[in-house]
Parts: sequence; structure tokens; C-alpha cells
Amino acid sequence: MNQRLPPRTALFGGLLLWFAVLGGVLSWTVHSLAAWSIDELTCEAGHDNLAGFPLTGAVALAVLLPAAGAATALVVSVLAWRRLRPGPRADDDRSLGRAHLLAVVGLWLNVLALAMIVLGGVAALVLPPCQR
Amino acid sequence: MASSTAACDTGPGPEAMASLSRHWAEAPTLRNWFATVDHKRIGRRYLVTAGVFFGLAGASAVALRTQLAGPEAGILSAWEYNQLFTMHGTAMIFLFSTPMLFGFGNFLVPLMIGARDMAFPRLNAFGYWVFLFAGLFMWASVPAGAAPDGGWFAYVPLTDERNSPGLHLDVYTLGLLFLGVSTTAGAINFIVTALKLRAPGMSLNRVPIFVWAVVATSFMVLFALPVLNLDNVLLFLDRRFDTRFFDPGRGGNVLLWQHLFWIFGHPDVYIIVMPALGIVSAVLPVFCRRGIVGYPLIVFSIVAIAIISFGVWVHHMFATGLPQLSYGFFSAASTIITIPSGLQIFAWLATMLTGRIVVRVPFLFVVGFLVTFVVGGVTGVMFALTAFDQQITDTYFVVAHFHYVLFGGAVFPILAGLYYWLPKLTGRMAGERLGRWAFGLVFVGMNLTFLPMHVSGLLGMPRRVYTYPGGLGWDPWNLLATVGAYVLAVGLLLVVAGVIHALRRGEPAPDDPWGGDSLEWATSSPPKPYNFPVIPRVHSLHPVWDPRTAESTGLGADGDRILAEGRGTLLTSELDGRYERAVRMPQETLKPLVAALGLLIVFLGLLLAGYWVAAAGAALVVVTLGAWLWPPRQTPEEADPAVGGGAV
Amino acid sequence: MTPDGIRTAFGPAGLTTEEPVGRSTAWWGVTLFVATEGTVFAALLGSYFYLRFQHGAPWPPDGIARPELLLPLIMTAVLVPSSLPVVWAESGIRRGRRWQLRAGLLATLAMGGTFLGLQGVEYHGLLREFTVTTNVYGSLFYVITTFHGAHVTVGLLMVCWLLAASLHDGSGARRREQVRVVAYYWHFVDAVWVAVLFTVYLSPRL
Ligand code: HEM
Ligand SMILES: [Cu+2]
Repeated sequence: MNQRLPPRTALFGGLLLWFAVLGGVLSWTVHSLAAWSIDELTCEAGHDNLAGFPLTGAVALAVLLPAAGAATALVVSVLAWRRLRPGPRADDDRSLGRAHLLAVVGLWLNVLALAMIVLGGVAALVLPPCQR
Repeated sequence: MASSTAACDTGPGPEAMASLSRHWAEAPTLRNWFATVDHKRIGRRYLVTAGVFFGLAGASAVALRTQLAGPEAGILSAWEYNQLFTMHGTAMIFLFSTPMLFGFGNFLVPLMIGARDMAFPRLNAFGYWVFLFAGLFMWASVPAGAAPDGGWFAYVPLTDERNSPGLHLDVYTLGLLFLGVSTTAGAINFIVTALKLRAPGMSLNRVPIFVWAVVATSFMVLFALPVLNLDNVLLFLDRRFDTRFFDPGRGGNVLLWQHLFWIFGHPDVYIIVMPALGIVSAVLPVFCRRGIVGYPLIVFSIVAIAIISFGVWVHHMFATGLPQLSYGFFSAASTIITIPSGLQIFAWLATMLTGRIVVRVPFLFVVGFLVTFVVGGVTGVMFALTAFDQQITDTYFVVAHFHYVLFGGAVFPILAGLYYWLPKLTGRMAGERLGRWAFGLVFVGMNLTFLPMHVSGLLGMPRRVYTYPGGLGWDPWNLLATVGAYVLAVGLLLVVAGVIHALRRGEPAPDDPWGGDSLEWATSSPPKPYNFPVIPRVHSLHPVWDPRTAESTGLGADGDRILAEGRGTLLTSELDGRYERAVRMPQETLKPLVAALGLLIVFLGLLLAGYWVAAAGAALVVVTLGAWLWPPRQTPEEADPAVGGGAV
Repeated sequence: MTPDGIRTAFGPAGLTTEEPVGRSTAWWGVTLFVATEGTVFAALLGSYFYLRFQHGAPWPPDGIARPELLLPLIMTAVLVPSSLPVVWAESGIRRGRRWQLRAGLLATLAMGGTFLGLQGVEYHGLLREFTVTTNVYGSLFYVITTFHGAHVTVGLLMVCWLLAASLHDGSGARRREQVRVVAYYWHFVDAVWVAVLFTVYLSPRL
């Protein structure tokens, strides 16, 4: 159904759908790796700051930025999911059906990813960073 | 269920059929027995070989249980006990579960997606031979008295050279590295096959759940297994060449082993269970006489588990003193991952509630799975409470828990799959009565073995002990568990008897004995070497129940999907399954076997410190691979780009 | 892209664009292989940092000097640009110019070989100072660099194979595909070197 789109527009659309699917979990990956290694390595070295920057601030960044990424992906996936809803004769338009499936999968993935990042943020609020 | 497909009524003409048989049939020679590249033969071999390894690991377990039947028994020495429980665990995890499910995948994935073989048939044969040799490599260490003895996760420093001299742990590290070659090759093959070889029309939203599960598992393998491989390389180097990775005296760190091991090990639990859940999703709806409920949510659940399982490894390190906040980041993942797992259970329950249940043997095993897996899940939640975790770490409670998860999550679905696909695998039906007896004994035996272990664990019995003093209240529970193990063994033997009986004098199976919905039921039982005379066209999630697909292989068959000239199959587009082009598939060849033998030489050389032998083996592998990829002189037809492109 | 274009891209027509699409099985095979190999390197370099930070200062320990930079930078200057002749060779076979394919591959072979030679020179000097058994730093240094060197060797073997094949016969579609696969792998080996350079040679100075 998209033969008539200019190639760059089409490519952008295709990639946008992938962002809707994987944006959340990619953000979560960044969040876990960044927050964990910042916390672990700084505490291991016996500091509570990272090159002069307070550790809690660094951890907060490692929570907030990925959270923003996951939230964006969530919004995109919700929009994609609504725009891709197959019509009554959906059976034959398999691109639409396929893209709708991916949007649904992405939507829920983004919800889980956002939840995990937020829970990590809560942990960072209640626990002192280097307590063992 | 509108109709089941009668493929060749009006499909390809007799010449086309004759041509297909001529091109695809493998002459029944001894050479071809070793040279075959047919995914169905290879898949069956995986199943049989993994079954044999299961038998060996099971026999080891029965020996363990016999030793533990009563206090202070003297059947096994501590030394033998250590080797047997390590081999039991290692073989069950690495040589049985994953290869068994890869066997199902090998046989079924091309059939389910309407292809004529795997994307890389020779690589597939290579993967099988490597698996076989790696398994023999490891099992041969048992009679040699050099079997691994450090537990299946081989914690350093217990396993370094000082604490564990001899070849035991070298067999472990090298054996798993060797096996890893096969698993990686298989995983790549599954993904590429599922992406490129689906029948025209099979867009991602029409892919059977089992195929989704196999693909997700393969992705997990690709990102988890390298970490284990690295870990094993480092341990081997430390033991053999005195590197210092795990040597605290020289700046190394023993925790590195654990971190790397569990970064692999946690996803591995799902690598084992995920394709088994895929089997359940394939079998269960058929016996509820309807399509599966919540297909998109199950796909979501599979993808979510595959990704999130990489984030939960830290909970294996509760006893090692990391900052609490570090745990905080990861325990979120441990909690959240239960959501997609639970979702699948609800989808199955909903399928059963809204369907019309027909109780046959495969369905019984599915029910057995549901019960045991849920029990395992409940005891798993108990671990999530950290305090409780500290109490029961390394007791029999843990052993009981993970057997409920692994036996419930892998063995029951595998048995369900075996009974369900036996008609397709062999062309024979299994006897229903014998199957029901087998199910009864396996189910009772399994619970009798592992339920009492919860109790002995709570009473404080540690795992991995070769004997124990009487009078601590452990004795009756141990005796019960041992009796259970024997009952279970009898049940499993009945399964084997049932298969043999079916092969000998089972009734011939019709194409579609159960009324299934996926494409493997649209072809003969067992399928012809070319799988489908006409590659079907897919219009929905349930192609076999869809008259349009039947029409596409009958009246509507076109030459594009018959490909009678030579061994050919179709490439279609990655997401939407649009027709792209036809490709050539390779002929039988001995090179995969030779390359696998070369690898065997490499690993034997490394094990026995014959490094020149190892180098010679490596040279053999390189030369064989070079010859393997060397293009034969191209026929003009092959030089045509339309059929040229490469199946490796 | 115009705002209008973005709006179209975000409509059903744009979102249903198939991407990725039309790749060959060989392309997917090598992509996945590179992904799993990349994971090995990621875990290996991750282990480097893990061990380093668990070890604490000083790093390198036991009075070992910080790595010299001159030789590794020369090695970088040899290896990283060796991706260019591969690209050139690839375009050669696309246009059916066999000499260009051969010349490009030969250049790659020479550059890769030089890299390995330089690595030998480096080891020759360093082995007098510390070895793989000296301490964890020595183990990491030699194992990481040797492991990468082994990948360069495998890449070179592939290039040799292609050269031999290009002397033997023509340039069918299959051969083009093979050149593409080898090129892909070679770029990967190059890219990994940059990560190794940063981890092993530069990061101790940070
Ligand atoms: C066939 C019936 C089975 C029986 C009777 C059985 C029995 C046992 C026993 C008694 C142990 C504890 C040894 C000890 O801690 O001293 C054990 C350990 C273990 N079993 Fe099983 N098992 C069976 C099936 C399986 C299956 C199907 C799997 C996995 C798919 C499995 C995986 C393991 C693992 C990973 C260990 C831990 C080994 C270690 O501690 O390193 N078992 N089994
Ligand atoms: Cu775990």
C-alpha cells in the first residue's frame, strides 16, 4: 500500500515503527547498564561523587533520560497502534495486520520498560547509594 | 475447520512430481546416511540423540537417588557422587533440553512455515554432528573417571587448578565450548530460516507461536551463549596456562565467574523453557478445538521474556555483598518478568475455557505441564522474598523448585510434543492406552520425587551431599523421593516402549490426525523429502483451516511455487512474506561431518595437551570450510541471478 | 524531510513500510554471526573494566608501565583504513572488473599482514616486561589483543580464499555475495580494534 511514498519518507516510517517497538526496552537497557555501573564502580572506589558530580545526581540522570526515551516510545506506539487498526476487510491487507501486531507488542513492551525504569528510580530515591 | 488440505489432486502434474522426487530424494546409500542435509532426518537425529543423553542423565539421577534412599549408604563414593550429579545437571541443561527442542525446531520450523528445508542445510548437518561429538566427548569422561565434578555452574575458586586438579573441569569448559559451536550455528539457522523462507503470504502476524518461540530463543542464544563461552575460555586459560583472571592473589577476581555465568545462566532458564512453552501453544489449542486466545499478547510475552531475562542475573548474587541499590535496579526486572510469563498461562486457561476439550495423550501431558509449572512458579515467588532466599539457598528446597520448573517446563511439553508430532515424525500413531499409562506414571513419579524434597529442604538438608546422618527427620522424605524416581523411570521407559511399538506396528497416520491448524499438517505423514509438492500460499493464522490455502496448492498451484527444476525453495520478504525469488538448495555432502570431526580433533588435542594435534585439527576445519564454500563450476542456469543467490 | 513528509511517514502508509527487506540469507547469516561475536568482545572488554575497577589503583599494577601509544597508533593507522580497499574491491566486482577485485583484496591482505607483524613486534618488546601469567593485567592485555589478532587472521584467511577463488573463475551473483560477506566481517574486525585500542591502550591513561 505504500508504493507511492518517496523512499526517504517510507524508510522513516519503517524505522519509526521499530522505534515504537524497541524504543522502550533499549532505554531500559541503557538505564540498567548506566545506573548499575555508575553506582557499583563509584562505591567500589570509595567515593560518593563522580568526578565532582554528586552520585545521586548521576544516578538520577541515568533514570530520567531513559525514562523520557521510554515514554516517547510509548506515545509513538500508542499512536501507531491507533492508526494501524485494520479495517473490516483486514484479512487481506497483511502489511497492516503485521504492523498492527508489532505496534501492540511494542506498546506493552514500552509499558513494561517504563515500569522497570520507574521502579529503579524509586529504589534510587529510598536507598542510600552505597549501603551494602 | 473448513477442510483439511488434500494437496495433490489437481496441483502439479505427474512430470513435475517425478522431477521433484528425482531432485530431492537421497539415494539410500551408506554415504548418504552420513551426508544427508534433509532437515527432517537431522531433526529426528537431534531428537534421538538428545533422548539418549536424557537417558544417561536420568540413569545418573537414579543412581544418585539410590545412594540417598537411606542415611549413610555406601553405593557411591563422594568422588563418584560429585561427578554424577554434575554430569546429571550439565547434561540435562546443555545436552538434553536445548538440543531436544532444537530437534523439534529443526523438524518443524521449515514445515510450519511452508519451506522445503532450513536456510543453511549444510550448516544444519554440521550443527548436528558437532552436538553429537560434544555430547560423546563429555559423556566419555564418566567411564574414564574424569567427569566434571564442580556442579553444573562450576563456581570458581572450587574449580581452579589448585582446588580441582585433573581433567574434570577441562572436560567441562572444553565440552561446553565445543557444544556452543553447534548451538550458535543452530540459532543463526533458525532465525534466517524464519525470516526468509516463510511461504508467500505468511506475514509476521501469521507466524505460528512455536516458530516465534524458536526464533526468540535463538536470539537469546546469540546474546547469552557468548558470555558463557568467554567464561569457559577464561577458566580454561587460568587452569591450563596460568593466566590470572580468577586468581585474587594476582589481582584477579572470583566473582567475575559468577557474573558472567549468570548473565548467561538466567536467560538460559528461558532458553530451555521458551520453546517448550511454544510446544504448549501449538498443542493445547488443537485439543480445545479452536485457535489460541490472545495471539498478539503471547507474541508480546515471548518477546518481552527474551529481552527482560537478560536483566535479572543479579538475584543469583544475593549472598555476595554488592551495594543494595545495584540490586534495586535489577530486582525491578525480576518482578516485572513474571507478568509476561503469567500472561501465557492465562491465555492457555482462556483457550481451554472457551474451547471444546478433547482429552488425548498430548493434552494430558500439557495438563501435567500446567500443574507442575505453576507449582514451580509459586515456589519461585517464595525466593523473591530475600530473607527466605538466604535461608534456603543451597538446600533441597532449591533442588525441588528448579525441577518443578525444568521438569515441568521442559520435559512435560517435550513429551506432549512427542506424542503430538509422532505421526508426522514417523508416519505412525502411538497407542492411546500405553500413552495414558505412561502419563500417569510420569506424573505421579515426578511429584513423588520432587514434592518431598521441598520438605527435606525446609528441614535443612543441603544439596550436593553424597550422604547424610540418620535421625534428622530427613529419612522418610528421602526414601519417598527415591521411590518416586523409580516410578518416574518406569513411566519414561513406557514412553520409549510406546514409540518403539508405534514404529513397529502402529497404525499408519493420516496427514492430519488431530485437526491441527499449522502447515505441517498440510502435507503427508511423514513428509516427502521436498516437504510440499506446491509451496502453499498463506492467508491467515490458521492456514490448514483456510480453504484459500488449500486452493493455492490445488487448482491454484502455479509453477512459481512448484519449482520442479532442481532443488529449490522460495525466499520471501522479512516482515510481510512477499514473494522475492527462488533459490537453489545444496546437495548431500560429507563436508559438514569432516569439519565436525576436525573440531573434535581440536578439542581432544586441547584436552590432552597435544597442541600440535589441535592445530592440525584446526587446519582440517579451515580447509574443509574452504572447500565447502568453493562454488562448483556454475551452470548457465545457476549464473542467472534469479536462482543464483546463496544458501550456504 | 518536510513536516508534511513526516506526517505521511507517521500515517498507515509510512508505518507499514517493510524495513528491513530483501536481504539475502547470507547477509542475515553474517549479520547474526557478527552480532554474537560482538557480544563476546563486549563481554571481554566489560570484564576488563570489571577487573580493573575491582582491582583499584594503581592500574597497571605491580609497577608495569602504562602502555606505549606510538606502535598501537601506527597499527590503527594501518588496520582501520584497510576497510577502504575492501569497499573498492566490492565495487569492482559489482561492475565486473576482476582486476579491481583482486587489487583491492591484495591491498587488504598487505595491510592486515602488516598489522599482525606489528603486533608481533610489540609483543616481542613487552614480553620482556610482563607475560600473560604475571598478573591479571598481563592476562587481560595479552588475551584481549591475541583474541583480536586471531580475528584478523581469520579475516585474512577469508580474503585469501576470495583471492584464490577470483583467480579461479568468474563473478556470478554468488561470488558477489561472498565478497560482501567477507567485507562485512572485515569491517567488523576493524571496528572491534577501535574498541580494543580504547580499552587496552587509552583507558589506562584516563
Ligand atoms: C529424570 C528425573 C530426574 C531426577 C530423578 C533428578 C534428580 C536429581 C537429583 C537427586 C539432584 C540433586 C543432586 C544433589 O544436589 O545432590 C538433581 C540435580 C539437578 N538436576 Fe535433576 N533430576 C531429574 C531430571 C532433571 C531434568 C529434566 C533437569 C533439567 C532439564 C534436571 C536438572 C538438574 C540440575 C541442573 C541439577 C543440579 C546439579 C548441580 O547441583 O550442579 N534434572 N537432579
Ligand atoms: Cu534466576
